[in-house]
Amino acid sequence: MISESILQGEKVRLRPVEEHDLPHFVRWLADPEMSRWLERLGKPPTLEDEYEWWHEKRSDPDNVLWAIDTLDGRLVGTTELRLTLRAERAELGVAIHDKTQWGKGLGTDAVRLVVDYAFEELGLNRVELTTDEQNARAIRCYEKVGFSREGLLRQHRLLDGEFGNTVVMSILKDEWEPLGRGDDD
Amino acid sequence: MPPARVLQGEKTRLRPLREDDLPLIERWFNTPEVRHWLHQSDRPDATLDDVRRHFWAPVEEGRTAAWLMETSDGTPIGVLRLLDIDPHHRRAELAVSIGESAYWDSGFGTDAVRQSLQFAFEDLALRRVDLITDADNERAARCYEKCGFVREGLLRERRLRFGKPIDMLVMGILREEWADA
Repeated sequence: MISESILQGEKVRLRPVEEHDLPHFVRWLADPEMSRWLERLGKPPTLEDEYEWWHEKRSDPDNVLWAIDTLDGRLVGTTELRLTLRAERAELGVAIHDKTQWGKGLGTDAVRLVVDYAFEELGLNRVELTTDEQNARAIRCYEKVGFSREGLLRQHRLLDGEFGNTVVMSILKDEWEPLGRGDDD
Repeated sequence: MPPARVLQGEKTRLRPLREDDLPLIERWFNTPEVRHWLHQSDRPDATLDDVRRHFWAPVEEGRTAAWLMETSDGTPIGVLRLLDIDPHHRRAELAVSIGESAYWDSGFGTDAVRQSLQFAFEDLALRRVDLITDADNERAARCYEKCGFVREGLLRERRLRFGKPIDMLVMGILREEWADA
């Protein structure tokens, strides 16, 4: 399911992914520095792979996908929620594909918007994610938003020929201060 | 991936699951004391179609290896699966349910888990097997620890049991830990 909700943050705007976004993803994911962190493939995707990925997401009722644009309309990445409604939880995924835009807080802003949507719009109780233990930039971003570390899955992932650990993190509804409240000062 | 084969333990025999076992699984999964511990306990009652879709389809697609657990006299007592077998990262997730509660606390689960680990690490050449279980399911955690699993994390309020959020425990075992056990 492609999200029809447009979410406006301080630095980014989340909107539905359009077909004409796909060639940008292919171009960015051809860079191994980018694609190495992605779970879904062992190699960079082709345009055909991206169409298939997009169609799969569109037809999956348990998936909410957004494109991440900067406020001046530049596409920089994607973010998604994979829902398990019977448990009132979702798994969050986010990627800033355009690495010239790394380190500017765009991912953090996008994660805040998605977590707020999960709790305030979807009424979920828990948002969780997994990330590579070596991906310090990502972990810092999630901690800033309010995620806590809950576990370390040992030798969970093959990366650059070595087995690496995966960190599990989550945030609960009780821990979330809704956006748009208490921001006046 | 090599297909599931018969695994003979000391107390339990695991034989590859067949499509005609599905009605038995449907019955087990709708038994209240079994359902209490199932990740999907808050779904409506399982129908045979649900079991076919969620349980059998991944077996047919080769992503899951599944066995029926039998006692030495051939009584079916439960089901064991290796889910989401990932040949790239060389890992899988273990899921065990003893559907006949009369056989709980008798070492059948431990025996079955040990057989399945041997299959995972030797036949499938995996590096890691993990699982998620309810944090208050002490019987299960004890069984997994006996088999060599290590606690790796506590996932807060990860699922609902009859509407109430409960914590879950994630555990893992690595090939070398299994070989040393």
